[in-house]
Amino acid sequence: MEKLLVSPSPHLHTKTSTKSLMRDVVIAMMPAVIVSVLFYGWSELLVLGVSVASCVLLEYLITKYLLKKPCTVCDMSAVVTGVLLALNLPATTPWWVVFIGAVVAIGVAKMTFGGLGQNLFNPAIVGRVFLLISFPTYMTDWTRPQGFIGGGIDALSGATPLGAVKEGGIAAIECLDYSDMLFYNIGGSAGELSAIALLIGFAYLLVRRVIKPYITCSIIATVAIFSGIFWAINPAEYTDPVFNILTGGLLLGAIFMATDYVTSPMSNVGGIIFGVGIGIITMLIRYFGAYPEGMSFAILIMNSVVPLINKWCHTKKYGR
Amino acid sequence: MMKTFSIGGIHPSDSKISKDCKIEVLPVPSKVFISVAQHLGAPATPIVKAGDTVKVGQVIAEPAGFISAYVHSSVSGTVKSVGPRKDLAGNNMTHIEIDVEGDEWVEGVDLSDTLITAIPEDNKAILEKIKMCGVVGLGGATFPAHVKLCPPPGKVADCLILNGAECEPYLTSDNRIMIERSKEIVVGAAIMKQVLGGCKTVIGIEENKPEALAAMTAAVAQLQKTAKGYDGISVMTLKKKYPQGGEKQLIDAVMGRQVKSMGLPIDVGAVVQNVATSLAVYEAVQKNIPLITNVMTITGDCLPMEKQHNYKFRIGMPLSYIAEVAGGVPEQAAKIISGGPMMGKAIANMEATTVKGSSSLLYLTAEQTVRGVESACIRCGKCAEACPMGLEPFLLQKYARHNMTDELEENAVQDCIECGCCLYSCPANIPLLDIIRIAKGDVIRIIRTRK
Repeated sequence: MEKLLVSPSPHLHTKTSTKSLMRDVVIAMMPAVIVSVLFYGWSELLVLGVSVASCVLLEYLITKYLLKKPCTVCDMSAVVTGVLLALNLPATTPWWVVFIGAVVAIGVAKMTFGGLGQNLFNPAIVGRVFLLISFPTYMTDWTRPQGFIGGGIDALSGATPLGAVKEGGIAAIECLDYSDMLFYNIGGSAGELSAIALLIGFAYLLVRRVIKPYITCSIIATVAIFSGIFWAINPAEYTDPVFNILTGGLLLGAIFMATDYVTSPMSNVGGIIFGVGIGIITMLIRYFGAYPEGMSFAILIMNSVVPLINKWCHTKKYGR
Repeated sequence: MMKTFSIGGIHPSDSKISKDCKIEVLPVPSKVFISVAQHLGAPATPIVKAGDTVKVGQVIAEPAGFISAYVHSSVSGTVKSVGPRKDLAGNNMTHIEIDVEGDEWVEGVDLSDTLITAIPEDNKAILEKIKMCGVVGLGGATFPAHVKLCPPPGKVADCLILNGAECEPYLTSDNRIMIERSKEIVVGAAIMKQVLGGCKTVIGIEENKPEALAAMTAAVAQLQKTAKGYDGISVMTLKKKYPQGGEKQLIDAVMGRQVKSMGLPIDVGAVVQNVATSLAVYEAVQKNIPLITNVMTITGDCLPMEKQHNYKFRIGMPLSYIAEVAGGVPEQAAKIISGGPMMGKAIANMEATTVKGSSSLLYLTAEQTVRGVESACIRCGKCAEACPMGLEPFLLQKYARHNMTDELEENAVQDCIECGCCLYSCPANIPLLDIIRIAKGDVIRIIRTRK
């Protein structure tokens, strides 16, 4: 003890850091990642590898040579974006398309705004939507690659359940078994495969207090109520609530993308408004829009009103 | 269902390492330096000069205003000098230097252990004694106790809350006095309760102090059986959560009422006093002993068990002397705190001396206390979740960095209690409280000038 440190209080600090939070998110995505690799095999591993590697590399290059700022790769947020982007793509996506997605996600959606904490839109979703619009053929090719297990479960090859409904009406999905969908879905992005895997991740995030349940639960509740009303009125034309919750990346989006700290409201009330908005927009697009799936667009649209929500919704103050 | 406050709060490890260390009496050093600023408000005016002989308990400085307090000599001997000396933050303050000779007390002080349970009837005389004995709040703010016990006209106390929460990690002095001096504390509470007009009295203690809870409950029960004036006193177990011992939070936890912004506890009928203050009131009123001693904890993870202590000290003892008696400053200590790790002050000068409100010497290692490098706000909202006043620190710090005082006031920066929950919780190591504390000072100054 040569010299004493002197600083204002408090003198202790939590062990939770940006890095540990991001690490928890990556851990929470692992069940979904493992299921997708098991069922989609080497091609899914390639998508994951390219996505994570290019997100991290791009962030490193941009901070070092373009922004000339301290490197932020160590906070692991680029890894989160990489895994999320991969889970949002079909396992058959060519590597160069994945790379373009990473360029848009990290380069355009994240770093142009100033990096972590500054971006208005969720980088992974911006990447995914860019690819969906630019390369619709790759992005809607749901042919199932050979996985490590469970080779023959393609009840509906070539289209997602939601896509099938858009084209063939509700009759196209009559053969679906919801209990199958809980464990392994039938076509769609890699991350949509298993609802159970996603819910395990959700539970982990809640237990570790990384996120609060408000946003996720309000999205699911809104979708359930919205589709429930339409389905009750006309079950021959509109899909039912369970179907809507289990398909179209709704759980993936509600658990991992809408809850992104940076692009979601700060307050609990704000989170509920945000979630209800996403739920309504998703269902409007699914029932009445041109695209079969609306989750990505709904999150992006609601991302854009987060500053307004934050302006209106404040915490309950003591004694006021 | 255990009670706690309703908004925010955090759960740091409580680290009550020294909770089982009995109170030991520190030997008196050969020289003491007694500060004239040991309380909130105006520093007292010295009334002794070099060459005067003083006894233990003799008044050596008088209050210099309504919010001020008497200071007494903690030793007997000769005044060597009256002049500036550096306090623990390194600022100059008038200290009275006394060379110790023997241990001769002033007349009329009862130093026996006999418990006096009969409460004097004259409230005015009680208040006068509390004032003359220099009793101040020992929970941290050192606000003169007699002022708090005289509600302004028109205000009535519904509930006296005795603060035994000791929510700061590491500190165990309140825990020890509640175990070892429980009856005296209850008598002190009964005295204050009588002064306040016989209101309900609740002693709030956090669940992590089972021994203190048991001792205080037993003391209340016994005094209610054997003496008069002890009705309506009860012990309440509180859930462990920081900052439970904050005045506003404790009122919310115990009474379910919230003090309005810029208001006083008495506005909602509450008077909060620390358990150590209650003990000081007992000693002043029943024993004529002025406030010249208190209990402090010597602790830290880097100290071996045998060097953990709870010491009864006298005011004016140099901190370096106490550290030496306790076994020396550990090699690994990077920062020494006076007070708890959440709200205490980092000591810049170990030659500073103890004051009435001293509560600890806490040794923290570099690993424990050095802050990480600040990174970008990820808008996780953990600071707002933690704030026990329901403020939004992420927003306040942004406004503060741009000096937007109107927005700061609108978002209640003046309500900040500086508990440190926001800075503690921030995963990006943003110095939230450092920035907000400065902004709060500015805004309060603006509000005052407007009035």
